[in-house]
Amino acid sequence: MSADTLQVLASAGKGESTRTILRFIILSLIAGAAIASRLFSVIRKCPLSAGSQLLSWQSRPSRRGQLSGLLRLSAFWAALLTAASFQVSRALFTNVGSPSLSQSCARAERQSRMVADNPLVDPWFNFRATKYLVANGFYKFWDWFDDRTWHPLGRVTGGTLYPGLMVTSGAIYHALRALTIPVDIRNICVLLAPAFSGLTAFAAYLLTNEMTPSPSAGLLAAIFMGIAPGYISRSVAGSYDNEAIAIFLLVFTFFLWIRALKQGSMLWGVLCALFYGYMVASWGGYAFITCLLPLHAFVLICMGRYSTRLYVAYTTWYALGTLASMQIPFVGFLPVKTSEHMPALGIFGFLQLLAFLDYVRSAIPSRQFQTFLWLFAGGTFGLGLAALVVATSAGFIAPWSGRFYSLWDTGYAKIHIPIIASVSEHQPTAWPAFFFDLNMLIWLFPAGVYLCFQNLADEHVFIVVYALFGSYFAGVMVRLMLTLTPVVCVAAAISASSLLDTYLNVKSPNAEEHPADDNTDGKKSGKTGLKSTSKPVVGIYGWLSKGTVAGAMTVYLLLFVMHCTWVTSNAYSSPSVVLASRMPDGSQHIIDDYREAYQWLRQNTKEDAKIMSWWDYGYQIGGMADRPTLVDNNTWNNTHIATVGKAMSSREEVSYPIMRQHEVDYVLVVFGGLLGYSGDDINKFLWMVRIAEGIWPDEVKEREFFTPRGEYRVDGEATETMKNSLMYKMSYYNYNSLFPPGQAQDRVRQSRLPEVGPSLSTIEEAFTSENWIIRIYKVKDLDNFGRDHASAAAFDRGLKKKKAAKKRGPRQLRVD
Amino acid sequence: MRFSQPIASALLLAAAGVAQAASSWSFDEASLSIAAKKGADGVKEKLNAKNPLSKPVALGSTDTLKVALTAKDNGKGKRPHQAFVILKEQDSGLEAPFPLSTKDNGKAVVQISQKEIPAPLLVSTKPLKASIVIGSFGSAQAYNSQVFEVEIKTDPSAPAPQFEKPLRYGQKDEIHHIFRADPKSPPKVISLFFALAVIATVPALFIGWLSLGANLNHLAKAIGAAPLSHASFFGSIVAMEFVFFMYYTSWNLFQTLPVAGVVGAVTVLSGTKALGEVQSRRLAGER
Amino acid sequence: MRSLVSFVLLLLVAVVSAISTTGNRLLVVLDDVAEKEGYSKFLGDLESRGLTLSIETPKSESLSLFHLGERAYDHVILFPTKAKGLGPSLTANILLQFLGANGNILLTLSSGSATPSALVSLLAELDIQLPADRTGLVVDHFNYDSASAPDTHDVLLLPPPGPLRSDIKDIFSAGAPADQLIAFPHGVGAALGAGELLSPILRAPRTAYSYNPKEQSEAVVDDLFAAGEQLSLVSTFQARNSARFTLVGAAELFQDKWFDAEVKKTGGKAVKTFNQEFAKRVSGWTFQEIGVLRVNWIEHHLNEVGASNESNPKIYRIKNDVTYTISLSEWSWTAWNAFSVPKNDALQLEFSMLSPFHRLPLRLNAKQSTAEQAAYTSSFKLPDQHGIFNFKVNYKRPFLTNIEEKNTVSVRHMAHDEWPRSFVISGAWPWIAGIGATVTGWLAFCALWMYSAPVGGKKESKKTQ
Repeated sequence: MSADTLQVLASAGKGESTRTILRFIILSLIAGAAIASRLFSVIRKCPLSAGSQLLSWQSRPSRRGQLSGLLRLSAFWAALLTAASFQVSRALFTNVGSPSLSQSCARAERQSRMVADNPLVDPWFNFRATKYLVANGFYKFWDWFDDRTWHPLGRVTGGTLYPGLMVTSGAIYHALRALTIPVDIRNICVLLAPAFSGLTAFAAYLLTNEMTPSPSAGLLAAIFMGIAPGYISRSVAGSYDNEAIAIFLLVFTFFLWIRALKQGSMLWGVLCALFYGYMVASWGGYAFITCLLPLHAFVLICMGRYSTRLYVAYTTWYALGTLASMQIPFVGFLPVKTSEHMPALGIFGFLQLLAFLDYVRSAIPSRQFQTFLWLFAGGTFGLGLAALVVATSAGFIAPWSGRFYSLWDTGYAKIHIPIIASVSEHQPTAWPAFFFDLNMLIWLFPAGVYLCFQNLADEHVFIVVYALFGSYFAGVMVRLMLTLTPVVCVAAAISASSLLDTYLNVKSPNAEEHPADDNTDGKKSGKTGLKSTSKPVVGIYGWLSKGTVAGAMTVYLLLFVMHCTWVTSNAYSSPSVVLASRMPDGSQHIIDDYREAYQWLRQNTKEDAKIMSWWDYGYQIGGMADRPTLVDNNTWNNTHIATVGKAMSSREEVSYPIMRQHEVDYVLVVFGGLLGYSGDDINKFLWMVRIAEGIWPDEVKEREFFTPRGEYRVDGEATETMKNSLMYKMSYYNYNSLFPPGQAQDRVRQSRLPEVGPSLSTIEEAFTSENWIIRIYKVKDLDNFGRDHASAAAFDRGLKKKKAAKKRGPRQLRVD
Repeated sequence: MRFSQPIASALLLAAAGVAQAASSWSFDEASLSIAAKKGADGVKEKLNAKNPLSKPVALGSTDTLKVALTAKDNGKGKRPHQAFVILKEQDSGLEAPFPLSTKDNGKAVVQISQKEIPAPLLVSTKPLKASIVIGSFGSAQAYNSQVFEVEIKTDPSAPAPQFEKPLRYGQKDEIHHIFRADPKSPPKVISLFFALAVIATVPALFIGWLSLGANLNHLAKAIGAAPLSHASFFGSIVAMEFVFFMYYTSWNLFQTLPVAGVVGAVTVLSGTKALGEVQSRRLAGER
Repeated sequence: MRSLVSFVLLLLVAVVSAISTTGNRLLVVLDDVAEKEGYSKFLGDLESRGLTLSIETPKSESLSLFHLGERAYDHVILFPTKAKGLGPSLTANILLQFLGANGNILLTLSSGSATPSALVSLLAELDIQLPADRTGLVVDHFNYDSASAPDTHDVLLLPPPGPLRSDIKDIFSAGAPADQLIAFPHGVGAALGAGELLSPILRAPRTAYSYNPKEQSEAVVDDLFAAGEQLSLVSTFQARNSARFTLVGAAELFQDKWFDAEVKKTGGKAVKTFNQEFAKRVSGWTFQEIGVLRVNWIEHHLNEVGASNESNPKIYRIKNDVTYTISLSEWSWTAWNAFSVPKNDALQLEFSMLSPFHRLPLRLNAKQSTAEQAAYTSSFKLPDQHGIFNFKVNYKRPFLTNIEEKNTVSVRHMAHDEWPRSFVISGAWPWIAGIGATVTGWLAFCALWMYSAPVGGKKESKKTQ
């Protein structure tokens, strides 16, 4: 669909009525799904349903089976539809004001103030890259040298990005074209995330079904996955980001891994490896899989669960997966070079050992020999570990990267790598965030994990391990809430479904059925069976208890859905380029300064005017204003960012040469003082200082930006360094003129500004947006008459140049 | 007397010329003294208008150089309008004038310390040439000659006087900057040797297999059992290697993938049958 | 009679059609229009070079350097005025704006009249100091004209100045007859700041000095303003936009009576002054009639066999061989000539990102050069670093138009298929051999596994593994 239709829908989507209708649809669908799963539980005794493959009903001749299958199918697609339509509806909410690529996920206010309030602007770059791919073809994209970012270094884009996302949408685009469906690449990009979130729900369904025979669990998981805010935050229509497809790949890879492990089949292993490769091509988070699978395998081994199934699955996955991952230029040889990937390699070697020992053991059955062998195995493992350590310290293997350390020690980044700490989504998660992102699931989740413990098959071990690490990492970094969400959904679904299975059973259980029940279960699915059915006779007889529990559960589910809808429409639907605020009378007021400023740049500056700004806005400027930038959100060159930080935090005389050297034409700052927009550059300023200090410790000192009493102030008491810094000057230049004398007020810092505002000599104000959020300055050229800018400005202000001081000291000689 | 006038004027002129030639500026009873800050009196030299001092005088960082003289016009003391001591840097030819304070009787004196000497002169390595210029209006011929040399002794403890040449437009020296040197390969011999060593493993492997009794005796049987599938299966394996080879040499990804797909399909389809046949042999205990 | 005169004039104009490269509207500011008789030769000279003179006095209302924001004149000569101030239409600000708008100014001073404060502050902005109290007189008791100033010694006689530096073309005194002298009567000397935009044409002799006739009539004791070569008699300032400003210390230098005066040093013999020619060259330089450079074209292309040699591509690859050519012309009086770099000097090309990676001399390329323009070229290999680079020719020299040419090109990295193939690299042979070995081994293994017959108990199991 084209832009204007989106617009129309957007206007429709804004209407309260549509929203309620959507809510209603969603409720009814969930109810339908639950009921349908009830009906399946009636026919659980038919063996095929135990495995509950999706389309198994076709092989069932009986009417009942068909009916059940049909219902299941409909309910399942209902769930998918729910998920998808939900995302789309979000697309509509989201597209307020920007029918083009809207921003995803304005961060909730829970982020700490001083942190760089970094909007997810990657979509802008991804979109640009995709357009390039579609326009110039795959190989051009592969070798793309982007000379409009990181001026003057340029960026070897083809080699420094994860191409999965772009290639996916490119493929879809060409496929649709081949089907003669004329579609704009932009619409594909906008709707890719919701579409994939539908698939994610599907994957969650499959994964859950690997865990439990109860089909309702799968559906619940699918629905949870579909509407859990933790995932919604990244799958909003228009959040055209790596995570959009990566989460689906994550879950689906896990599913394939479990399948491969359970069946010990090389085929599934290969599939797992392929999707792992896809994942690597799509998201840096692939390291999560790279570490989780070996961990799972290791835990299994330690539990003495080594089996040829494990051997086959793991070996296939590792060998092929690693090869696949090494095909991505950005990854290259990392899998054999960096420590993040070493566990996988280690386990791989360890498994070979075990296999060998296993073989020997099968050949020579002798208990002492076995124990000796085990010792031997342990020894070699230890040796391998030692070798790894040595190799790392010797530098053959790159040590853990800083980002990785920051996963273990939340304080690490702040000290060593400010550039990472400065990103809001790298902050430790605040507790409310958990409830905010997965409302009801947060208490269903532990129950589910507990149920996994109840009969601990290999796959359940996986859930346990995943849950453990997922929740730890989610606690360390806000961003990793994303990787936690799937397992939460799965576990919660398991517990919820077991609850419903027990309480929503239409007919009371009667004694003689159960033995049959049990032994069918027994022979059907030995270990993998789960919960009430495989337990000794348990059943709920009273309608009352059934009713209350079921009712309570329904209420919870409703609340959950309402919460999700609320969170979605409030927190995650406001595109951060367009700020929406409420007027006193409650009407919505749109603040559109960003796009206003970028439009100005696009129309009033020359094609190759270099824009200097803090890196948060790099992608936006590149995408919306189409102008070269010095730094952008791809933070691979710390020094270059530090250079900008230095220019921003130094005196004019210091920063001017830097700007000249980098051929900067315009400087862009974000200033929220007038509007009370807290995510402005003055609040991020300390990060610029810190990053600059990391490179030039003796030229930029963070201490000098704090008052003697250690306060960070912008008013009269601000330190001289602060007042003279380019950033401060640019932010408050002419700001007094808005207020009656002496009344100038900064609404973010809640402080009154000094009487006289700062004065600028090396740059001049070029543009200031409606609400003063964006201020653009032009860098002056060298003075035509060889004076320094200060005195030139002084002369223009009409001050007479004072006579050269009468000769105190030696006479000045001119050397020609 | 119509013509006497010019003659007279000519005579007058001549006279004037003589007079001019006669009167000229000079000086005498001139002395040069260097006084150190801390009492200890330094060098004291007599200056001569005719011939300069033989060896340069040293001027320390705290010393003051004092030149006293009496300017004379034709022998009698008279106040000149211009009485300078001019210090000259030998290489650049830079000059710094130091006017003497003169009296009506021609007595003139000047005191120079390092603080008053411009930086470009201070940093000079050669001694500075000091010349005295005395001149005034009127016809008297001015005096200008180099009378002594000053050697600047900078105090080692104090920071040396700084002077960097100001920017002047001119050519700069050339730059040929190799950012990154080209990668090197080991000598061909070594790589050849290892290449051969690697290749040598193939015959080694075959010999090993043969020694273990490897053979192809079942080939006929296999072909007999499932001729098409066996042929196509093994053929497709070889073909796949060929595809890889083509990808390495000439093809690009989009040429490779379809072909690989076709070959792969063949492998799978024929493989099931071929391997099934192999399995049947195994089950029959023939392997 | 008159018709004859006019005809002669017409002929003159027709013959001498020299003209400045920036326009021919010249404003002459005189204290009193009558004074122009004194400069008739000089002004006539200018007119004959094709400049159209309009003579104004500072006080006249009609005087304005700008009309509707555009320059009303291309060049201005300011002759000394008695008036303290120059009035509202000639403030320092306006004059700076005039320079900023590529106008050229020839400013003359005279010790006879105090310099107006507007000019003093203008000079201060250009970092040129005048003596205190805006008046001063340069005298030299050694090189003075004994004919006209036997007592006052305030008519300096100087030989035509040589080149400022050994690597700078001598455009003011080249080919001057050895015996001619420049008479510098009753002039004011200025002291130049350290800036690189300033450069003196005529510097006072070593023994000259500047004094204040009112206060220092007795003797120069202290606060000597400047002396010797630090005292610049004729100085130039060329702004970054190549607008030219010349300060002549003695307005009389341009007067007729000094054009054809006989001067003699003490003891020397009387010689003719060089003033007329000197005045012509100084004014010619100031009004962009000589020493004007023009870039005709710039061209750079790949310099590799088999590669397309399209001109000025936007993007190159690292380690490409590239050729850069720039064509320059120099305007001298009447025509564009091929510009030849002075000896001891070099035209240099910089290839820079943040800082220059290469700085190479550009050599004259005879093939592409003609009489009107000279092509300078240089070939080199791009550095092994991708980025946005600039071809930079930054040729700024005293007395020549500033040339600062920047051509931006992107230098991209090697594309995936531009690296040398692995079989070319000898170091890769073992690995290629390894692949070959593996492939053969694999095929053989498949064959064996499928078609090998058992030879008895133990080995087969090993084989089938």
